[in-house]
Amino acid sequence: MAELFTMALAAILINNVVLSKFLGVCPFLGVSKNSKSAVGMGLAVIFVIFGASLITYALYYGILVPLNIEFMQLITFILVIATFVQFVEMFIKKYSASLYKSLGIYLPLITTNCVVLFVAKDNITQGYNLVETMVNSIAYPLGFMLVLYLFSCLRERLDSADTLPSWKGNPIALVTAALMALAFSGFVGIV
Amino acid sequence: MSNNIIYAVIFFVIMSGFYCIGYYFNHKTPKPKGCENLKESCDGCKITSCMNHPVHDMEGENKDA
Repeated sequence: MAELFTMALAAILINNVVLSKFLGVCPFLGVSKNSKSAVGMGLAVIFVIFGASLITYALYYGILVPLNIEFMQLITFILVIATFVQFVEMFIKKYSASLYKSLGIYLPLITTNCVVLFVAKDNITQGYNLVETMVNSIAYPLGFMLVLYLFSCLRERLDSADTLPSWKGNPIALVTAALMALAFSGFVGIV
Repeated sequence: MSNNIIYAVIFFVIMSGFYCIGYYFNHKTPKPKGCENLKESCDGCKITSCMNHPVHDMEGENKDA
């Protein structure tokens, strides 16, 4: 149990996908203009990563390994993620109008989010069992959502700040992201 | 041709088939009331690969012109 907690804490704070591995920077900069969008995107990413990771885990150990076609890993995972997003979008459209209204706009973005592919591949390369895969698949997107939300709050504050015209928008956002990465590097050593 | 390659090709075709089915049914499913045009509620981020990005509308307008 303690090991799983340590693994989750490390995935959220120390090995944060955005600030430590520099993955998912595109939605990190793109969907951080306001905190409401950031939370919506974060929730959608958590759901898709968790679902896609479980499916890829089952496919890898259930089909690719027995058939000895592990070299198909990458293309399989890409197709699984793309297909999963299509089915999730269809399901939400049909059964939950309110959820579709809040998350629907972010679903097409998740297919292009490389964090989803990274988590699916990481579960396999690290040789995690099913429980570890589940913890890892929740912790990494939680870290993504945490950083995305914090960054969106900072950007909302920056919009009203008195910055130089040439620094407005992305330049000051990138400097802020760099400072956040420095701050998060301070968590190294707590686990 | 080794069995592995045959299995890989069959597996790829099946996975692609699943994607095509998902894509087809997703686009066939009607959007809920009030969500017909979610693009209007999107204030536009910087991700141009997203189909909701206004840049794709501009491409359509250019083609029409």
